[in-house]
Parts: sequence; structure tokens; C-alpha cells
Amino acid sequence: MADETLPQPPETPEAPAGPYVYDYAASPQRQIVLPKTVPLPSLKTYQAEVKAAAAADEAKWAKQLADFEVAKAKAEAEGKDAPKPPVRAVPRKDDNDLKTPWPQEPKDADLLHLQEVLGSKVEEIFEQAGELTCQVSKDAILEVLQLCRQDAKLNYEMLADQSATHYPAAKEFAFSVVYHLTSISRRKRLRLRILVPEGFIPESACAVYPSANWMEREIYDMLGIRFANHPDMTRILCPEDWEGYPLRKDYPVVGWGQRDISFREDRGGRLELIAMQKAGQLGINLKQPKAE
Amino acid sequence: MGIMQPSAFEQILITTKVEKVMNWSRATSVWPVTFGLACCAIEMMAAGASRFDFDRFGAGIFRATPRQADLMIIAGTVTYKMAPTIKILYDQMPEPKWVIAMGSCATAGGPFDSYHTVQGVDKVIPVDVFIPGCPPRPESLIYGFMKLQDKIMTSSLADRYKDIFEEVG
Repeated sequence: MADETLPQPPETPEAPAGPYVYDYAASPQRQIVLPKTVPLPSLKTYQAEVKAAAAADEAKWAKQLADFEVAKAKAEAEGKDAPKPPVRAVPRKDDNDLKTPWPQEPKDADLLHLQEVLGSKVEEIFEQAGELTCQVSKDAILEVLQLCRQDAKLNYEMLADQSATHYPAAKEFAFSVVYHLTSISRRKRLRLRILVPEGFIPESACAVYPSANWMEREIYDMLGIRFANHPDMTRILCPEDWEGYPLRKDYPVVGWGQRDISFREDRGGRLELIAMQKAGQLGINLKQPKAE
Repeated sequence: MGIMQPSAFEQILITTKVEKVMNWSRATSVWPVTFGLACCAIEMMAAGASRFDFDRFGAGIFRATPRQADLMIIAGTVTYKMAPTIKILYDQMPEPKWVIAMGSCATAGGPFDSYHTVQGVDKVIPVDVFIPGCPPRPESLIYGFMKLQDKIMTSSLADRYKDIFEEVG
């Protein structure tokens, strides 16, 4: 059931046409296996899982009872002893077990305040292991960041980190952008999250938190999420002429043929061109004098 | 008595080849570029500091410009973003010039069998000595450097410009 609802990822990623295309057939161990799950922490998903598990347990118990009735009737008809009635399994409880921190309903004052002020813009809000998470509508992220920074009750002064995830199994929200806010004055941390589909351009956080500048460039470089109203939306880690976004799940670990580049030869006379330009700026004639 | 007494001439003069003198002077005053890429550069600095003292071999003068350097120690991981810069720096060094690939990253990509790492700096520039290790100890670097000194001592001008001579004919 769950597998049918999830859109199936393509078997091999679409590599760009060109001279440098990685040969998957030559090294089958390099084949890309895309994950089919979306392990984003979420209260709704957890509650649905708990509900489904309870329903499955109930169905199993009902089946056991029905089987017992059938077996009992059969035994009576044949004149044998009645079979033992089934015993419902009780989940084992051990206080020494490590408890997995499941998502909880929000109790923190910050989260309640956010929920009250934002209203329907909040898509999901929960606490997990003492960490506050709030997922908001992808169109309202700038407004929410402004609120978090300027509201006297929240007062999150610092954008400690901004990152993104890619789970291609969820096509309608393949990417998520995560904002880790820190309040130095109140000693609290808050995680904001937006889910974005492929091709969506969220609003840049630079207007509110200037430190988002390079982090958004890194997200663009690694995952290909562009940001609107960003002062300089260019690559930051990879070279400028890089093809593809390396941290996407469908990106091969050896790249799209970038390793085939030969630096020993002058690529397209580029170095010579640069040398000529520099020499021209300095007024030096580097060109070989031609024989008459 | 059968023992040859050196003449007065030989007591004040050493006869040798010009090439050998040139090689000796080059091998004992190799100036590297101040150029480090990753953790191997820390070991390179340790080799240059007082405990291991690269100056004993005449290679302690790390020049801050490639135009005054003879040796380039590629100490660390070479990424595709850095590779053109390494090529430009190498092209700026005057002849004769040598290159040491230090550590497994510079020799063969090391653990980074990945999209961003050049699998060996010999894909970018010609390398004279490869030093294995991750990172190599300063002793390894010194041993590799002594191997380079041997190479310089046995080199000749004719070898170095052999390709050019063959081209000219």
C-alpha cells in the first residue's frame, strides 16, 4: 500500500549530453540506488504510523480469534479436546531500554506562541528530544523569519545554520530547507523547515539574517535550490562551470565526467588567452613575431 | 714507495665537470614554494621547523612566490577547483623545476575516490617524486627529498632538453 502511493524513482539519473558522460555499464558497482523512504522527522507521520501499527495489531488479534473459533468448531465436530484459547501478546515494557525520542505535541512556550501568531501558515509543529521544530508554509518563510527575529517573545538573533535535504522518493516535496535559529539572549534554539518541490524558488533569508548569504549559495551549489532576492546567487564550492548538483541523491559519486578533464593540455587555449589578456593590460607583446 | 703523491696543482684545485657543479649547486639549494593544500602541509611545516630542519638539505627557504622557487611540494588533496591554480603556479616557476607529490591524496587521490578530487596531481603537472603515507612523516618527506637530490645529481642538461632537441632535430 505504502509503496504504491510513493512515486517510483527512475532507475538511472539523466546525465547531461556531452563528451563527458559516465559509463555505468563499465563499473556496475557505481550504480545509483535511490532511497525509497523519506526519513524526515514528522509528528503527523509518526501519529499515522502509530495508528497503522495499532490497527494492524487489532487485525492480527481478530484473525487469531477467528482462527481459534474455526479450530474449536472443527475439534468439537471431530470429538477431540478443544484447542487452547489464544493469548494476546502484551508489548514488553522494560524501563532499562533506551527510549527513542519520538515527536511529541508542542508544549514549549515558543512553539505555542508561533502557532498562535502564525495560525494556518504552520504546517507542522512538534518537539523531539527537547528540540523545537516548526514546519511552515514555503511562501511564508521570510515573514516567519522576520517574526522569529523581531518578536520580543521569540528574539532569535542568530541564524546558526541553514541546510537542505533531498529525498527524491517524495516528488511533491523532494527538498526541504532547514533554518537553525539560535537565541543568544534567551539561550534557546529553534528549527524552522520548509518543504519545497523541484524547481521552486524560496525567498532568500539574507534580508533578515545576512549570514544566510554563503549558506544559501552552498545550498544552491550542492542541491540546486535557487533563492529569490539573493545578492549573489552563484556557486561557492564547485568551479563555476560545474555541471550538476553533487549532494543530490541521483548524482554519481564520481561526477558527470569531471574526472576526465585533462589539465596537462591547455583546455581550449584558455590559459593562453588569459596570458594574452594580462599581457595586453600590461602593454607587453607576447605574440611570436612572424617571419616576413 | 708506490703511493702517488698529489701534485701541488691537485692540492689547490678540484677538477670536475661543469654539469656536475651545476647539479651539486642545484641539489643543495632547492627552494620550495610556500604552498600547502591540506593536512600534509602540517607535516611539511614540521619538516621545515627546527626538530627536522629542512635547512640541513638547503631546502628550508620556503619562497612566497613561485617565480623564485625550484620545487613545488604538493602537500594535500588536489580538488578540481584548485587544479588550474596549481597549473598556473607551476607554469610561473622558472626552469629547472621539480615537483614532489606528498601523501596519498596528491599521488593517487587517496580516500577521496570522488567527483571533486583529482586522482593524482600527475594529471595536472609532471611529478618527480611520489611520497606515500597519510600523511607522511617528516622523515618520509626528507627521504623523498633526498631521492629528488639524487635525481638532480644524476640529471644532465642533455636529458632535460632532450624533447626539445628531438623536436628541433
